Amino acid sequence: MDIEQRVKKAVARQLKIDEHEIKPESDFVKDLGAESIQSIELIAVFEEEFDIEMDEQVALAVKTVGDAVNFIKKAMQEQGKL
Amino acid sequence: MSQQNSYRNLTKEQIKILREQGCSAQDWSLVKVADGFNPTRVRNAQFFGCVHLGRFTGNIKTDGGFEKPSGIYNATIADCKIGNDVRIYNIGVHIANYDISPGACIENVGTMATQRRALFGNGVKVSVLNEAGGREVILFDELSAQFAYLMCMHRYRAGLIKKLVEIARNEAEKVRADRGKVGPAAQISSTPQIIDVNVGAHAVINAVASLVNGTVLSSAEAKTIVDSNVVAKDFIIAEAASVTGAAHLKKIFVGQGCQIGKQFSAENSLFFSNCEAFNGEACSIFAGPYTVTHHKSTLLIACLFSFYNAGSGTNQSNHMYKLGPVHEGKLERGTKAGSFSYMMWPCRVGPFSIILGKHTRIFDTSDFPFTHLEAAPNGKCLMIPGLYLATAGTLRDGAKWPSRDRRKGAKKRDIISFDIFSPYTVGKMMKACSVLKNLQDNTEKSVEEVSINGAQMKRVLLRTSQKFYRTAIEMYLLEKVLARSKKALDGGIKKIPETFASDADAAYSPDWVDIAGQLMPKQRLLNIAAAIESGKIDNLSAFSNELDKIHQAIHKDEWLWVKNTYREFFNRDLESLTKDELIQAAESYQKTRTNFLKQVLADAEKDFDKLSRTGFGQDGSTEDRDEDFHQVRGQYNANKFVKEVCDNIEAVERWVNEYKEKIATIL
Repeated sequence: MDIEQRVKKAVARQLKIDEHEIKPESDFVKDLGAESIQSIELIAVFEEEFDIEMDEQVALAVKTVGDAVNFIKKAMQEQGKL
Repeated sequence: MSQQNSYRNLTKEQIKILREQGCSAQDWSLVKVADGFNPTRVRNAQFFGCVHLGRFTGNIKTDGGFEKPSGIYNATIADCKIGNDVRIYNIGVHIANYDISPGACIENVGTMATQRRALFGNGVKVSVLNEAGGREVILFDELSAQFAYLMCMHRYRAGLIKKLVEIARNEAEKVRADRGKVGPAAQISSTPQIIDVNVGAHAVINAVASLVNGTVLSSAEAKTIVDSNVVAKDFIIAEAASVTGAAHLKKIFVGQGCQIGKQFSAENSLFFSNCEAFNGEACSIFAGPYTVTHHKSTLLIACLFSFYNAGSGTNQSNHMYKLGPVHEGKLERGTKAGSFSYMMWPCRVGPFSIILGKHTRIFDTSDFPFTHLEAAPNGKCLMIPGLYLATAGTLRDGAKWPSRDRRKGAKKRDIISFDIFSPYTVGKMMKACSVLKNLQDNTEKSVEEVSINGAQMKRVLLRTSQKFYRTAIEMYLLEKVLARSKKALDGGIKKIPETFASDADAAYSPDWVDIAGQLMPKQRLLNIAAAIESGKIDNLSAFSNELDKIHQAIHKDEWLWVKNTYREFFNRDLESLTKDELIQAAESYQKTRTNFLKQVLADAEKDFDKLSRTGFGQDGSTEDRDEDFHQVRGQYNANKFVKEVCDNIEAVERWVNEYKEKIATIL
């Protein structure tokens, strides 16, 4: 499973929505209904799923699923996980 | 008053004048007057028993900007001593058994009387926390938050409680008297009933419905106001407080600088410095300093608070239809409750936490400060520890409390430690990290939630919360270490170990306690409790002096705690740090602190985002919405708080650069 699929699965599980509703351009807040607490949970889920450390302040600025995928890829590269 | 005047009998001529002006006396020989007494200013007065009258030559200044003549007009006076230039006007029933100091003004009062052996609210037992009793606090004029806290909370030390009760009773007995007092320049008006009430200097009591068995402490620099249809029974109201707007109080202590009004009702409760209580209701609460409740439908019951903010409709239950209203809550300092939040006691919440929703399960998160506590649909508490560490609200609170201290005058009874980050909160973070780490290490990844003392937490957040706490711990420790080192370097010390020396008389405990607003190492508390039990501290003055000494030593004690905790957290002795390591520490501090402040800014920015603009620009376009928002709420970059935080980021950078330079040149 590639990173995008894993991100979508994690988002679907966390926000309790259908995975097929999640597109790269989906905005976490506007389109997927994530509240601020859920955003914190999503970061924690991504950290665990990809075994990376994320800076909450920077990560919370990520708005869409596609941006999250890129953010995670970059973090994995920087932390030697990719 | 009486000491200033020498009194003599009335002359026949004076009695004649008084009679002609409608006055009478049960026995004129018992009416004594001061030298210079002016009989023309006593009209339609009836005297009973022994009455002393001062000179009535001056005037009383009114708030309206004009002056009224002193004297006694349309009044029945029984067994009173009335000082010079007092004005008594239109007393419906009588004034009996009062010593009224010079310059006081009493107008349009019904009955004002003192009964034999009155205690003026002193000695009243207030059933705090447990409505059914068992934690009674005895009221007395000089009651402090710290004294009340020990008497209320430390019932597990019977010897201590016995001694505290003795001290409280002795204090109460000091005011026992057959005559009440009205202090100099006090103003009492339009009040039908005042029974067994002492009124302090410059107090203003106006249009009050009824005051029975109480004291209004007041002074020239700290005027106390009781106003507008207040009903109070068995009470003490301290200096610079205001009780207004038809508030209903029974068995109450109102501390210095408190504001109570807008029909607030309270029973069996203590409010210490700078509390604000409007519209709602309090029952058996211990409101430590800065407890605030402003809204209707808010009931605070059977709980310990301090620095607390109650949202509208906040409610709690202490009654489970079993053995009566016997359950208690403990909300530690800085807690906030969201609108219509509900808690079922017993529960305990750690400092600076936020409570949302309807909690119907019992939990204890006291070792998890800055925690988000949200009720799940089934009433269970879902917690996210440390979520509120880097928020705009937390930072603003830390700055606003000291600036809102309304206590005036030299005497401040309650000792208040304002710091948000202290060994008390940081120590709790250390403990919380240990619990969270243990859970993280011992919970399978298939588990969705873990349980912590009755509250639930998403397993996946165990690591996140540790991160929140560890960042704050690191920031606090580095800030203290660098500040200490800078101060020592500025003072001429040139060797690293010496900069970190602690004071010989500092006290250390891994745990600190919050004694109703005063923070201290637990050992200090144990020492003072032991000193009271042994009789070494046997009076209020000695007790207060000891607490003052502890407060004076707080920075010494804090430094010793920081030294020990630094070793535990960084696994390194401060004294063994090298010059390069100190420079690294400064850089690390700058990064952590700046990151923290940027998180605060990000949190503040949410108040300016598109979601926050919802509803703005009524009847207009999207551009109108944004313009309306900016006109009403201003621009993010121009916001005062935002500017201060930005300045703070720059100041941290400057400070760290200066520090590094200093280290490079001196060491």
